[in-house]
Amino acid sequence: MDQLSDVLIAISHPTRRAIIGQLANGPARFLDVAKPFDTALNAVTKHLKLLERAGLIERRKQGREVYISFRGEPLREVAGWVHEYEGFWNERLDQFAEYFKDKKKKEKK
Amino acid sequence: MKNSKKTLELKFERTIPALPNEVYDAWLNPKIPGNPWNAAEKFILDPKVDGLFYWALKGTSHYGRFTEIERPGRIQHTWVSPNTLGEESIVTLTFKQQGEETFLALVHSDLPDHELARAHEKGWNYFLEMFREQFGNGSRIEYRWDDAHPSAKT
Repeated sequence: MDQLSDVLIAISHPTRRAIIGQLANGPARFLDVAKPFDTALNAVTKHLKLLERAGLIERRKQGREVYISFRGEPLREVAGWVHEYEGFWNERLDQFAEYFKDKKKKEKK
Repeated sequence: MKNSKKTLELKFERTIPALPNEVYDAWLNPKIPGNPWNAAEKFILDPKVDGLFYWALKGTSHYGRFTEIERPGRIQHTWVSPNTLGEESIVTLTFKQQGEETFLALVHSDLPDHELARAHEKGWNYFLEMFREQFGNGSRIEYRWDDAHPSAKT
């Protein structure tokens, strides 16, 4: 399966979205990730596997602990690919508006 | 006959601190930052009805034909590029005076919808929320030309 599909599947479940939201605040240990959810640890493990497959999280060992952290890059790449014209026009229009704002400032001086 | 393919439409709005005449002229002046031609490494621009444009940046070419030129209120042209899968999309700009300023609206419509875009629609609203929450830059996504045009990477 391609990465777009993996990412879409990964974010299609509210628990996985909540996990991403939690990890966006910083890396956490497995039990800390599982703590807020009223679900079996086994279920949390399955959610984490899907997030990992999509490249949205990574595990890193620090001493005896394993920390899980969020990776935003797959979301950026997927959104950038589909909505490149959104980014393109926003960038162009921002520059255009900025040109007039600068011009007005200089005229006032 | 209008084709029945599914299409996407993107809308953008800005308030520009100048009157419509000036804003309109600036949009068609390649020397002014922000319009599409200004970014180009090479361009051809003939802004009249049925006039054509071409611009290229990092190996990606864009072509179009002006269909409406109504100074100072409206510009419409077609827009064809590899990113429209070679199909004609439509870009419409309207300039409305608001006091001493101009309300500029840009609509990019008839962007071809295809399999991956349809797949993306399912999660699109969530993506926007995700970016708003995680990256803190509103509903706008940071644009990086190299990411959008991987084939142009050297």
